[in-house]
Amino acid sequence: MTAPFPTPKTDEAQRLLSPEELEAALRDIGARRYHNLHPFHRLLHDGKLNKDQVRAWALNRYYYQAMIPVKDAAVLARMTDASLRRVWRQRIVDHDGDAPGDGGIERWLKLAEGVGFARDYVESTQGILSATRFSVDAYVHFVKERSLLEAIASSLTEMFSPTIISERVAGMLKNYDFITKDTLAYFDKRLTQAPRDADFAIAYVKEHATTPALQRQAMDALTFKCNVLWTQLDALYFAYVAPGMIPPDAWTPGAGLVPERAISQAAGTGTVTAHDVPRLPRGVRLRHDAVRDQYVLLAPERTFDLDANAVAVLELVDGQRSVRDIATLLGEKFTADPAVIEADILVMLNDLATKRVLER
Amino acid sequence: MNAITPNVPTLPAPVGLLAELTHRCPLRCPYCSNPLELDRRSGELDTATWQRVLTEAAGLGVLHVHLSGGEPTARNDIVEITQTCAKLGLYSNLITSGVGGALAKLDALYDVGLDHVQLSVQGVDAANAEKIGGLKNAQPQKFAFAERVTHLGLPLTLNSVIHRGNIHEVEGFIDLAVKLGAKRLEVAHTQYYGWAYVNRAALMPNKAEVDRSIRIVEAARERLKGQLVIDLVVPDYYAKYPKACAGGWGRKLMNVTPQGKVLPCHAAETIPNLEFWYVSDHSLGDIWAHSPAFTAYRGTDWMQEPCRSCDRREKDWGGCRCQALALAGDAAATDPACSLSPLHAKVRDLAVEEAAETPPDYVYRTIGSNVQPNVRTPLNEEAPL
Repeated sequence: MTAPFPTPKTDEAQRLLSPEELEAALRDIGARRYHNLHPFHRLLHDGKLNKDQVRAWALNRYYYQAMIPVKDAAVLARMTDASLRRVWRQRIVDHDGDAPGDGGIERWLKLAEGVGFARDYVESTQGILSATRFSVDAYVHFVKERSLLEAIASSLTEMFSPTIISERVAGMLKNYDFITKDTLAYFDKRLTQAPRDADFAIAYVKEHATTPALQRQAMDALTFKCNVLWTQLDALYFAYVAPGMIPPDAWTPGAGLVPERAISQAAGTGTVTAHDVPRLPRGVRLRHDAVRDQYVLLAPERTFDLDANAVAVLELVDGQRSVRDIATLLGEKFTADPAVIEADILVMLNDLATKRVLER
Repeated sequence: MNAITPNVPTLPAPVGLLAELTHRCPLRCPYCSNPLELDRRSGELDTATWQRVLTEAAGLGVLHVHLSGGEPTARNDIVEITQTCAKLGLYSNLITSGVGGALAKLDALYDVGLDHVQLSVQGVDAANAEKIGGLKNAQPQKFAFAERVTHLGLPLTLNSVIHRGNIHEVEGFIDLAVKLGAKRLEVAHTQYYGWAYVNRAALMPNKAEVDRSIRIVEAARERLKGQLVIDLVVPDYYAKYPKACAGGWGRKLMNVTPQGKVLPCHAAETIPNLEFWYVSDHSLGDIWAHSPAFTAYRGTDWMQEPCRSCDRREKDWGGCRCQALALAGDAAATDPACSLSPLHAKVRDLAVEEAAETPPDYVYRTIGSNVQPNVRTPLNEEAPL
C-alpha cells in the first residue's frame, strides 16, 4: 500500500518549474508524506493511545526538540549573509529562550512533566529509542553536509505543522484527561512561530532554486525531512503499539516518572516567570463592586481589594498573554520601562499564585 | 436615623451572606453549628423568596454567598438558587457534605456557574469519619464527590473540624487534601457553640494535642507552599485572644436561616431577648441597618471593661457574644476566650479538665429532639455552680 517514491518522468524532471509550481510541488510532498498521516499520530490525536504510549511519544520527541537548535546552529554557521543569519537565529531563540525556564525546549519539558516524567530523566535522553536518535542525528548531519538550499528546504515541514498542531491540541485535550492546556503550551507558540519560519524558508527556496537540478534537490531535501519524522513514528509504533517490541535499554512503562503528588504540583503551580501565561482559574473572578465603587478579585472564601495597578494587570490576564506581553502593554500604556513593570507584576502574580488564585 | 443607630451613615455594607437553605442533612455531626432547635422542611423559605433575598443582597453590596445548611443540595431548587447567584454576579460557595444527592446535582451546579465547593470531611479513616458524622458509607461518597469537583475544574476546599476524636488525623487531612486535589484546606478546631457546646466534653482535645496539630499545620504550609493553602482556626479555649466573631458583629456577615430569620452570626439565637427580623417582613437592607439584633452589639458602644478601653477592641470586637453568654452568663461581657477576661483561667482549666476525662458518647444532631446541653454552667462568679 505504500506509495512508491515519486519519480517524475525524465523530461518533467528536467523542466524548470515556476516559483508557484515549485511551491505546489513542495506542498504536494507534505500532503502525501507528512507525519500527520502516520497511524501513530492518528492514534495519538484520536485518543486511542494509553497514557504510557503518550509518554513514549513525549519522551522520544524530546530528543528531536532538543537537537533542533543544534541543527539550526549548523545551518546558521553556513550562512555568510548577516541578513539571513538575523532571521535564522530567531529559531534558536525560540527553542532555547532568552533565559533559563524559557523557550520551546523548556515547554516540551513541561509537557513531559505534565504526563508524569521526571525532568532529569527526559533531559538525559537515556530512554529514547535508537531509531529516534539515528533519525534526528541524520537530520543534523544532513544540514551540515548538503547545500544551504537543501538545508533550508528541509525545514519546510513547518508549512504543514499548523494543521497538525491544531488537530493535536484539540484531539489531545478532548481525549486524554491527563492532558491539560498548560501541558500543551509548547504548541500554542508554535502555531505562530512555524508559519513565520515557513514563510521565510519557502521564499528563500523559491528564489534560490533556479535550475531544475536545484529544484529537484529542494524537493528531495523536504522528502528526506518528512522521512526523518515518519521514521521516528514507525519506531514508536513498533516498540509501543504493535508488535510492542521494546528494544533493550529503551524506556519501559513506569520508568523515569515522579510520584503522583509531584505531578499535581507541576500542573499550574510554582514560580511564575516572565514567559509564563498566567490565567485566573475557575472560581476566581475580577469584578467591579458597584456599591463600594472598587474592583475586587473574588476567590474561594476570600476577597482581594485591588488598587488601580493591580486592576490594570489583572484585566490583561487572559490565559493568552505572557507576563512579558502584559508588561510590554503596560509599558506602552503608562510610558514606563517594561522591565521595571515586569519585575513588579511578577511579585504580585507570584503572590496570587502562592495563594492558589492564579495559575499558569 | 434614630438614636440607637448613630453609626448608620457610615455603616459598611455586608460582604457575605450565609444562606442556610435548609437544616435537613444526611449527616449528624455532634459539633454542627446549627441551633439545637432545627427548622423543619415545612417552614423553609420558597425559591422565589430566596431569589428576592439574593437580589437584595447583591444590591446591598454582598459579594460572597455561602450556600449552606444543613445540606444545601437537599433542596430541590439548589440549582436555580445557584443560577440566581451567578446572574447577580454573586460569588457562590457551596458548603456541602458531599453525600446524599450532592453528586447527582454537581454537574448542573457547575453548568449554571457555581464558583467554589467547600466539602466537609469528618475524618481520614473511613470508620472514624463515619462514626463522627453518624452516617455509614459516607466516606466513599465524599471521595467520589471530590473527584468530580476537581475533574470539572471547580476549586475545592476541604473543611475538617478538629476535636479529640480526629485530632490525631491532622497529618492525614493534609495528605487527603493533596490527594483529592484541593487548593485549600481548613483545619478548624471546633468552636463550642450549638451542638458542639452540648458535646464539649466529648470533643475537647488536650493542650498538647492542640499544640501538636498547630505545629503540623505550620510545617505543612511551608512544605506545600503554592500547592495547598491551609487555613487554621485555633481553639478558643486555649487561645490568647478571641476571634472577631463573623468579622465583628453586624460588620461583614448576614446569616439567613431556613425560615428567613436574619442573624448577625449563626449562633446568635442562643442570646435571649434579641429581636430578630425576618426577610418576609423587612428588606435585607432594612434589617442590616435597623434590626435590633444587628444594632445590639455593632461597633464598640456596648462594650464593658476590659474591652471598652482595650486597644484591640476594633481588632477582635470583644470576641464572640454567644460564647460570652454561654461562659460568662452575659452576652456583653468580654469573651472568656480572651486572656484579658477575668474568667479566662477558668475556661482553660475547664478545657483541661474535660480533655482529661474519658469522653462521653456523642449527642448526635437530630431534628425534633429536645436536647439540653449537659455542660452549660456559666463560669461567672454569681452564677450557681
